[in-house]
Amino acid sequence: MLVTYPEAAHWPIDPARLDLVEEFRAKPRGPHGDELQKLLHRMRWNGDPQSDGRYVLVVTEPGKQWTLGRLPRQRGKPIELMRNHVFTSIAEAEWEVFKLRWEALTGTSLPPHLSGPLA
Amino acid sequence: MTDTTSVLGYAWPLVASPGEEITFQLSSPTLPSAEAVLVRVRCGDPDPNGPGLRLEELPASFDRTIGLTHQPIRPGSCAVVPDGPPLSALQSFTVGAFLWPTLPGERIQTVLSRWRGDTKEGWRLGLDETGRLEFVLAMQGKSWRVATTEPLLSREWVLAGAAWDADAGRIRIMVRSADPQAGRDRSQVVEAEGPTSMRWPEATPLAIAAHASTAGKETFEGFYDGKIDRPRLYAAAETLDGLHRLCETTSFPTTDQRLLGAWDFSRGMATDQVTDLSTQHLHGTLRQMPTRAVTGANWDGSTDRWTDCPAQYGAIHFHSDDVADAEWKPTLRFRVPTDWKSGFYALRLRAMQGAEPVESFVGFFVRAEIGKPTSKLAFVASTATFLAYANSALRLDQVHAEAMLEGLLTLSRDDAYLQEHRELGLSTYDTHADGSGWNISSARRPILNMRPRGNVFNYGNDTHFIDWLEAIGQDYDIVTDDDIHRHGVQVLKPYTCVVTGSHPEYISREIWEAFDAYQRGGGRHMYLGGNGFYWRIAYHPTVPHTIEMRRGMTGLRTWEGEAGETALAFTGEPSSTWRSNGRPPQRLVGVGFDAQVFTHSSPYRWLDGARAPGLGWLTAGIDLDTPLGDFGLRGNGAAGVEIDRVDFSLGTPPGTVWLATADRLGYGGTPAPEEIRTLHRGVMGDQNAQVRADLVFFPTANGGAVFSTGSIAWVCALSHNDYDNNVSRLTRNVLKRFLDPAPL
Ligand SMILES: [Fe+2]
Repeated sequence: MLVTYPEAAHWPIDPARLDLVEEFRAKPRGPHGDELQKLLHRMRWNGDPQSDGRYVLVVTEPGKQWTLGRLPRQRGKPIELMRNHVFTSIAEAEWEVFKLRWEALTGTSLPPHLSGPLA
Repeated sequence: MTDTTSVLGYAWPLVASPGEEITFQLSSPTLPSAEAVLVRVRCGDPDPNGPGLRLEELPASFDRTIGLTHQPIRPGSCAVVPDGPPLSALQSFTVGAFLWPTLPGERIQTVLSRWRGDTKEGWRLGLDETGRLEFVLAMQGKSWRVATTEPLLSREWVLAGAAWDADAGRIRIMVRSADPQAGRDRSQVVEAEGPTSMRWPEATPLAIAAHASTAGKETFEGFYDGKIDRPRLYAAAETLDGLHRLCETTSFPTTDQRLLGAWDFSRGMATDQVTDLSTQHLHGTLRQMPTRAVTGANWDGSTDRWTDCPAQYGAIHFHSDDVADAEWKPTLRFRVPTDWKSGFYALRLRAMQGAEPVESFVGFFVRAEIGKPTSKLAFVASTATFLAYANSALRLDQVHAEAMLEGLLTLSRDDAYLQEHRELGLSTYDTHADGSGWNISSARRPILNMRPRGNVFNYGNDTHFIDWLEAIGQDYDIVTDDDIHRHGVQVLKPYTCVVTGSHPEYISREIWEAFDAYQRGGGRHMYLGGNGFYWRIAYHPTVPHTIEMRRGMTGLRTWEGEAGETALAFTGEPSSTWRSNGRPPQRLVGVGFDAQVFTHSSPYRWLDGARAPGLGWLTAGIDLDTPLGDFGLRGNGAAGVEIDRVDFSLGTPPGTVWLATADRLGYGGTPAPEEIRTLHRGVMGDQNAQVRADLVFFPTANGGAVFSTGSIAWVCALSHNDYDNNVSRLTRNVLKRFLDPAPL
């Protein structure tokens, strides 16, 4: 049986590379440079092992509004909705989750000029 | 937010002719009633950036307010042998089989039993909650148990059984590992005190891979995950060697009256029947379609097809989450009026759940009656593909989904429901709880993504084409894969032009050959999709609207098949991709799957082929110097999502006109595994022009022709700029010419 292991994602993230954070904030939906692609792939393949499940969006209004949620790793367990995280664009949501993942993976917090909402 | 799941249902049959009756099986755990209205589907995609939901309400013969009840679904497959005197009178006996457990230690699982779950009486051989093999006998408050001391290994064959010697008052449990070295040995015999006589519960069936919940009812529990091969029941206490001989024997002397059951799962592979070789004829029936035609403990790799050597395929892979039939009772009956047009239809159910509106749909199809076309054009409802995708939980379960889709997963209410309600049964994209691939899909259950408001992929995208036909005022008939499979080319023949939609991916041999014959007979085929004609499937020979597929070890696969298991139980045919069956899609439609791209879609650029004299009908009104389709609802381009390319070495006809290509897809263009021989770091779309979508036209015999776009995103670009755009114009030019009977 062929299995895809999320922990196989091991591209090393350098907490000093705030330029990649800047690049993502400028263009959350891409296209992205080579290193930012690898950083995003690390985050997306890894799927938030530090939290209670993978960050996902749940559509609250098709094409208009999305709520952040956590998809448990176990089948049958409900998706946890984080109702104080509601977005009106996917780009905003991508940025919010990027910040959460950056902080979880690097163990560092982003400087104030990079921790706000999407510019 | 609209609640789309508080009431669910399914239509039977899924496809009906005008004048035929459809029953709707509905269930709600919370709503006492709902307002039911029949609708004809023009666009099922609520996305506000496109046409939006477009549904036409239709008058119906039934009351709008219908009462609802809760009808549970009982997943889990097993074999059931009706009770009989040889079973109820059993004293000393031996029971066992070869086992390949897939979830040992997950929970209590029953392998072979005549046991009542409610009173905990009878006997059962199974795995305890730690995965150890156990044998339990119990009656009237007394019980005896013996178990092994080590859990069985997942996906390793063992001979496993138990015996009760009434004369000696002893019970024993027996395990012999097929491969006893390098840490795999679980061989063991453990004995314990047992009863000297037993009176068994009455009216309790013998069950394989489960046990009865109670007496006198057909409900089961304690489902086992994994394979069971050559189960045996013998009316004397045998040793481990004796059990081994019993399980290895497949031809029994009728003189030995102690043999009560020797089930041969290699017989009647496509059926729900299991055959007992003993003189007792304790034949059984399967529930919820477990996977048959799987390798047994004796499979030696000399063949990968069960039809070559059925004796090596005497196992069934049971799953605790198998569902082939929700078994709901009809809530509503409806006779399709004879004046209804063929089409995509749905029963719309509305109610209030607290303060939240409920709007849930049950999808079904009305076919144009075979041989009675009402239009020169037919659009194919890709029902085989809709079934293959039915209740896909790919994004919920597969850890690569977010990386593959290049962005946060956006889940719908349907997804959130499916995450919690696995009893609906999943799709052929998914794996069972034990990690094995899901290879059977049926329509006797609610299907969340084959209805308006469902997650858009094949079904929702295809309604964009219906919307476009309505927008341009083009009449059409709807025909379905299920009918093409059953009746062949005669379903297509009456039409001057046949269109297959965004994703006709799952194709039986019968369907492939019907399209081939249609093209050769002068038919005009427009293939407006991507990744079409890709997987080889079979329909069940007798159960309608039920397909089987085996992914094998090639193709863009969300799970990999087991070695030796690529042949279909339903027909014995090989499955996997059509390309590995000698029929690359290029041969039928000029292009074949090469890549997926989820970052963004692209426009095509016109090639010299489009400027050839004589193609003025195709390019009329289109500027060949501007990009074709730099817009659209799927990634802002007409070429994207899943895409197909020309390859003359894979069968693209020499007479093909290569009209346009989209070969600058960037790093998001990821090739299919079968497109790569040895790997190097330059295979992605930013470096590899073999990652592309191609647009082609070629004439066929007898004045026929094929036009293909090779992209799922195509039909979702048609409505751009109020349907006035070059994708729409080109599609219209081709359609107009293809509907003209003058030979091409
Ligand atoms: Fe597909």
